[in-house]
Amino acid sequence: MKYLVCILIAIVSSTVMLSTMAAEKKQTLPAVSKPFQAPDFELKDENDVVYRLSDLRGKVVVINFWATWCPPCRFEMPSLERLWQQVKDKDIVILAINVGEDADTMFEFTGELQLTMPLPMDRKGDVVKLYPVTGLPTTYVISPEGVVTHRAMGSREWDSPELIKQLQMMGKGRLKK
Amino acid sequence: MLLSRDINVIPLFIVYICGFTGVANAIDLKTGVDEQAQLPYWEISTGGMSLRLIQRLPIQTRGYFMARGFKAKQAERIAQSCLFQTIFKNISDADSAGSPSNLEYNLHGWLVKRKGTRHRPKTREDWSKEWQAEKVSQAAQIAFEWSLYPTQQEYKPGDYNWGMTIFNLKPGMKFDLDVSWKQYGKLNKSSIKGIECAPDINPQSKESR
Repeated sequence: MKYLVCILIAIVSSTVMLSTMAAEKKQTLPAVSKPFQAPDFELKDENDVVYRLSDLRGKVVVINFWATWCPPCRFEMPSLERLWQQVKDKDIVILAINVGEDADTMFEFTGELQLTMPLPMDRKGDVVKLYPVTGLPTTYVISPEGVVTHRAMGSREWDSPELIKQLQMMGKGRLKK
Repeated sequence: MLLSRDINVIPLFIVYICGFTGVANAIDLKTGVDEQAQLPYWEISTGGMSLRLIQRLPIQTRGYFMARGFKAKQAERIAQSCLFQTIFKNISDADSAGSPSNLEYNLHGWLVKRKGTRHRPKTREDWSKEWQAEKVSQAAQIAFEWSLYPTQQEYKPGDYNWGMTIFNLKPGMKFDLDVSWKQYGKLNKSSIKGIECAPDINPQSKESR
């Protein structure tokens, strides 16, 4: 009987442990296998503001490729905006690059969410082709030296403490305190 | 009497523990109705990955691609080709039994099997040749390319994607799908039986095709 009680306790406790672990989903931002020099590009947003990657040297740059029809892109956009609100004064730049859509289509979505982060438009899909992107959303992190060091495929909770800390560490030594 | 009862439970416990520690290798297949889409899905999962195929109705597909610049005839051709919304995840970061592991797949290695015939899924590259020959607008081609599930990818732990896979069958047809992926240093294979292409519940009239 003692065996039976022990076995039941083991089963219940391990099941509870598994459920807890599943609920606390880690947010990962893995390093790319081979870091590479970020291809330079120049894109405009809907207000004709120009974003040139080479102008951002010295900062950590997060480039996120997305589209309005892509459900995980839509899912992560609010957390990307919240990240932007937290890091925009700390030498971390976010460029949320829309792929292949026009300003009206994009604005229907971004206006609803009241996004304030930079939203350059890659209308012809030329810039996304410069990077090894195979699906949306894909996010790259570019070091202050202009090297692509990390990639996230699929959505993330970008304002989670572990991701904010990781991004801040990437710019360590250059970030304002 | 008491002893024999305990002995009966011990093998169950061993099976449970084996299942717990070997969760990364055990393949779980299930089907049901996707909560968000409210359409049937077929799913395989292990401790390291999950792959869910959710039916897409032809009427959804027609509307989606016509809104992105395809002509009615072209959107119809896509809609009649058996599309599934596909969600493939590397969940090995949450794997309590093993260590995080990259995941690779290639749709060229998957097989659609139906009544003795077999073919590969129709990839974005296959379609691209057709769209270029038909001089489909650049905006439509971009939307199509990025809407389809990538032909091959490597996911780091925590990575995943959504996209449409196209199995090139008529609406309502049933088929089996052999899938493969690399993870934990080996090639894994599984077969999902009895997948059903969504029926065409609101077919286009012949005049409009």
